Amino acid sequence: MARNKSILIEARQIERAVTLIHLGARLQVLESETDLSYERLLRLYKEVAGKSPSKGQLPFSTDWFMTWQPNIHASLFLNIHEYLNKVTALDEIDAVIKAYQLYLEQIGTQGLEPLLSVTRAWRLVKFVDNGMLTMTECSKCGGHYVTHPHEIARHFVCGLCNPPARAGKGRLAGSLQFGPALAALPVPQPVPLPIPLPMHAAH
Amino acid sequence: MTAEQILAEIREANLSYLMLAQSLIRTDMEQALYRLGVSEDNAALIGALTPAQMMKIANSNTLLCRFRMDDDVVWNLLASHGRGAANDGMSRLHAAILLAGRHAEAA
Repeated sequence: MARNKSILIEARQIERAVTLIHLGARLQVLESETDLSYERLLRLYKEVAGKSPSKGQLPFSTDWFMTWQPNIHASLFLNIHEYLNKVTALDEIDAVIKAYQLYLEQIGTQGLEPLLSVTRAWRLVKFVDNGMLTMTECSKCGGHYVTHPHEIARHFVCGLCNPPARAGKGRLAGSLQFGPALAALPVPQPVPLPIPLPMHAAH
Repeated sequence: MTAEQILAEIREANLSYLMLAQSLIRTDMEQALYRLGVSEDNAALIGALTPAQMMKIANSNTLLCRFRMDDDVVWNLLASHGRGAANDGMSRLHAAILLAGRHAEAA
């Protein structure tokens, strides 16, 4: 693609790139979503994040999105993303950024760790665009969840209506649990009981 | 509550709603649409209101914003009627997914 010579467009792209770096995006995302050169992105990354970007391949498998807890996070993100796409006309990458910020907020208010990184969120949207993943309606709750394509919709039950046996047993901080999430609940303050005076003191 | 108190409370609620909505819309239009669950046209109207207009609109005997959980599934999840408060985190996440999927009312 011909490099953009417009300074305004470039400024817009740098702004986008900075937002993405703040959200923790990998360099490959920036390369794909902006017209900025690799060298400039690398410099920008170091300037914004204060460290070199992590190297190596991007996660490329769709399987991660199918495991129980990641699927819930991915579904939440994708529902928000779809919502934004339905009600507004955003550029693709802006929709990902805004939806991801809303996802982070929602997860944060519940005291959970965001399992879905912005890089994965971006991959997820690409997978859905390519038809490698899709959303299927749960036959019980009517919500839409990330699934492989051609899931039989009539029989599909989501991971929240029908959690797997081991679901929520992990004690990892910030993960979904069946028991009350200790960090998220206000600690009940013990009601100060009137201390009964020792018997001998009464005399 | 007397009738006068009720009217005053409704006016207060309407006014805070409009002010919050307007600042959300002016901060980030697209995210505000998601947060408020209103259509783009309505959001544009709210975003353009002057303070005087807001006061006028808020002064009413009905509330301006409507309840979004208009079905049992989401409501039970949020109120944890289903399986007790034990899986509170899961229920809230579940409700969030269901609510995020409802764009029909906003579009």
